[in-house]
Amino acid sequence: MKNIRNFCIIAHIDHGKSTLADRLLERTGTISEREMQEQVLDDMDLERERGITIKSHAIRMDYNRPNGEVVTFNLIDTPGHVDFSYEVSRALKACEGALLVVDAAQGIEAQTISNLYQAIDQELEIIPVLNKIDLPGADPDGVGQQIVDLIGGTKEEILQVSGKTGEGVEDLLEAIVERIPSPKQEVDKPLKALIFDSIFNSYRGSICYVRVMEGVLKKGDGITFMATKKEYDAEEIGYLKLKKEKTDQLEAGEVGYVIGSVKSLQDAKVGDTITSTKNKADTPIPGYKEVKPMVFSGIFPTNSEDFEDLRGALEKLQLNDASLSYQPETSKALGFGFRAGFLGLLHMEIIQERLDREFDMDIITTVPNVRYEIDLEDGERIKVDNPSEMPEVGKIADVWEPYIKASILTPADYIGPIMTLCEERRGKYVNQHFMQNNRVEITYELPMAEVVFDFYDRLKSGTRGYASLDYEFLEYRKGDLVRLDILLNGDQVDALSSITHRDKAYYLGRKICGKLKELIPRQQFEVAVQAAIGSRVIARDTIRALKKDVTAKCYGGDISRKRKLIEKQKEGKKRMKQVGSVEIPQEAFLAVLSMDEED
Amino acid sequence: MSGIYIHIPFCKQACSYCDFYFLTRDKLRQPFVEALLSEINSYGDTKFSKEIVRTIYLGGGTPSLLNNKQLESIFGALHSVFDIDAEEITMELNPDDVTRDYLSMIQDLGVNRASMGVQSFDKKLLEFMHRAHNPEEAFSALEALQKTGFPTFTADLIYGNPGQSVETLEQDIDKLLSFDPPHISAYSLTVEPKTRLGKQVELGRIDPPDDDRVSEQFDVVRTQLAAAGIEQYEVSNFSKPGKEAVHNSNYWKHENYIGFGPSAHSFWWDESGANRWQNEANLKKYLNEAPEDYREEEETLSKNTLAEERLMLGLRTKWGVSEIDLKQSYGYSFTDSQWQWIEDQVEKGFMVTENSTLKMTSDGLKISDHLIVELLS
Ligand SMILES: Nc1nc2c(ncn2[C@@H]2O[C@H](COP(=O)(O)OP(=O)(O)O)[C@@H](O)[C@H]2O)c(=O)[nH]1
Ligand code: SF4
Ligand SMILES: [Mg+2]
Repeated sequence: MKNIRNFCIIAHIDHGKSTLADRLLERTGTISEREMQEQVLDDMDLERERGITIKSHAIRMDYNRPNGEVVTFNLIDTPGHVDFSYEVSRALKACEGALLVVDAAQGIEAQTISNLYQAIDQELEIIPVLNKIDLPGADPDGVGQQIVDLIGGTKEEILQVSGKTGEGVEDLLEAIVERIPSPKQEVDKPLKALIFDSIFNSYRGSICYVRVMEGVLKKGDGITFMATKKEYDAEEIGYLKLKKEKTDQLEAGEVGYVIGSVKSLQDAKVGDTITSTKNKADTPIPGYKEVKPMVFSGIFPTNSEDFEDLRGALEKLQLNDASLSYQPETSKALGFGFRAGFLGLLHMEIIQERLDREFDMDIITTVPNVRYEIDLEDGERIKVDNPSEMPEVGKIADVWEPYIKASILTPADYIGPIMTLCEERRGKYVNQHFMQNNRVEITYELPMAEVVFDFYDRLKSGTRGYASLDYEFLEYRKGDLVRLDILLNGDQVDALSSITHRDKAYYLGRKICGKLKELIPRQQFEVAVQAAIGSRVIARDTIRALKKDVTAKCYGGDISRKRKLIEKQKEGKKRMKQVGSVEIPQEAFLAVLSMDEED
Repeated sequence: MSGIYIHIPFCKQACSYCDFYFLTRDKLRQPFVEALLSEINSYGDTKFSKEIVRTIYLGGGTPSLLNNKQLESIFGALHSVFDIDAEEITMELNPDDVTRDYLSMIQDLGVNRASMGVQSFDKKLLEFMHRAHNPEEAFSALEALQKTGFPTFTADLIYGNPGQSVETLEQDIDKLLSFDPPHISAYSLTVEPKTRLGKQVELGRIDPPDDDRVSEQFDVVRTQLAAAGIEQYEVSNFSKPGKEAVHNSNYWKHENYIGFGPSAHSFWWDESGANRWQNEANLKKYLNEAPEDYREEEETLSKNTLAEERLMLGLRTKWGVSEIDLKQSYGYSFTDSQWQWIEDQVEKGFMVTENSTLKMTSDGLKISDHLIVELLS
């Protein structure tokens, strides 16, 4: 029997997961102090900067117990954000235990609770850990009681540590060995290995991170991906230490990687089961699903010449992120681009940021929206994730929109502003639940469309950052939804169309018209800016014709100055988008697209 | 033939809108004149001194802060280095510096065109502009010009000031017209970022008038001057027939010119190519270093760039730009899509084409920056 412990850490952002993981790596001698770089596990720049985990990672440690025994630890680091809850569920599946790390000064947050319940559902052994006990503001007693209320047990079972000073880390290491069960090691069964994450390497193809649940994965064996039915050879397998460490086999209970010239991540999907081609398992590990995008947005190159580069960049991103989907889209206003689907808002932001950072792409993105289901008068039901695809008013019988169940954890002082926000967003109050430490969990049912648009920022700003949000998809519900179009001199600006609740359309229409009037420079002719539902105009503004645009002085002999100014304007013109005969500068689009409820 | 520009970088005080290069310290005037003399002398026996000089322009800053001796030495140096056969020698004057004696003195030195920085006759406006002179000084300076029988002169006006009404503008124009000026430069106020005015606008303390009002004032200037026989020949320049500024017009026609003094610009186009360069706007450097050290940004212009400049400058004038000139001097011709665009503008009344010459209409002139960018894009 091998002595193994597979576990993950459940924690809210900033509660100290990465720091604690660093300590574990240090104390087990997996990493020397010299190699120590803060937050070893978050290896993307973006992860380090934002302090978030986007991809799952795993790291193997050998822990020498004080009694001389050596135990193998596999720490599986999971993303913390709701957008990635499927990845989290797969990572949990690969573990027998979880450390529930809670900041002793902050208390439990919404996200933590939902991940914790997932872990409990999957029958993981939970080790509650109060972190940051070195902080003067730490309240081990109060926060400890919160934990007891949540998971039962006693306060005495809660470990108290400081990832910063290292206090309590020895006890934690021992508790991991003593409380978390060793995995079942059914090596005689046919192979079942769970893919809990995969990354793409341009030389090697897909690298799958796996937990062998049953059987043995041997180097050179033929392997089959049970969901996609693709077959490959296990060319290389190994352990995930700080670097990859090759080995000949991975047995049931072990965690490692496998490489098999898998050309596309689409073949090696998170949650799929790898089995042996020769000796196939009957059933895959349960719980695999195709992740569906929840949020959609158009992505267009700022400079239309960059379309092919954008395509290349998206292709590369998709290699590493199978949950990103996209297809070409043409906008009259923005030209050629893509309609992309994301798991959620954070996922969308990450993709946008990676396009900028890793590919140096200058892009315009349209307002994010959800996927609607529309019953047509002729009885057909269609799905619409792009406002411009919404049929004419006359053809629509009913519009259905996705609802989520949102749970918001907050200090009780902020109940008022949170309820106001949720009501404004067409939320339906479900209940509230008071907890220890003056904290409340408020539950609302909300149209998802109202949450993808500037909800989180408002929540944060309305509660000084104290509230946390978690949500899950609920169902599709009927709504009085309309498409709001923006027209310039009668020509529709497709990129600015949006689907909105009828009651909000008037206000939104007026606001967009006002903004455009402010930002579209005067043209040689008068421009009517209109907002319309179908053929009915509900708001209108006018951009008066250009009356004067001429430099008074040509600055004596300083002709270069004037010429450079013209050069600059010529450049600016290139970046203008044309709708009918009206030229719209980039900034006007960006301003409207990034407009939030307040401005 | 060529022109000479001399930049005198001193002013009594800083006008709020001005972003020309100048200093208000008077101690440096004499050292500056000496440095200027050596810059002029550095052009001796070069290809630049071989062409006959037809125009000289003393600008600034405030050239009228220089005294007789200083001006004498400058003209002396110019004559010793260059072959001067000037049809026009202009000097910018600020009203508060002008006396009849001063005018006779500069006339004796050869100045035959005075450019009077009047800007306005309105006390409040002059204060707002932070000008050094008051309305009385503006009147007496113009009177002195008449009394000394100065060969010709021009006066500057600024319109489109914050809070300025059409009435005060009309009064300003009437007052100026009472001196029967052969030439007027009327500029609409430009808010430059690095000026006092620019700062105040940025801080929201001053609201410049909106484009519609400035456009209206532009029309007032044009019609009122036209009624007095003073015709607009460039966006900001108006004259009686035959009294157009020669030196400035030459800038627009790509005639050669050499600029002296800090921040002065030069242009030279001969068989070996067309170049622009400028002196650094840094008096300290100018005083202490050799010309080759404060000269910067030698830029070689392609024929295409020159053609674009020609359009950019020529379309601001009543003469417009002729297709033949573009073809012959610059090897430039309009593309089909440019022609299409031009025809469209002609139809809309912003441009005209006459005898294969392209010009702006008066409506077009008002938005000529916009039109030129469109034409060249
Ligand atoms: N005082 C104190 N600060 C800590 C401790 N653990 C982490 N931190 C700090 O808390 C912040 C968040 O830690 P991090 O490990 O990135 O949290 P994560 O978002 O859960 O991965 C960082 O500024 C850490 O330096 C601790 O035990 N004590
Ligand atoms: S006098 Fe002329 S150069 Fe001097 S600050 Fe005033 S406007 Fe500028
Ligand atoms: Mg972290």
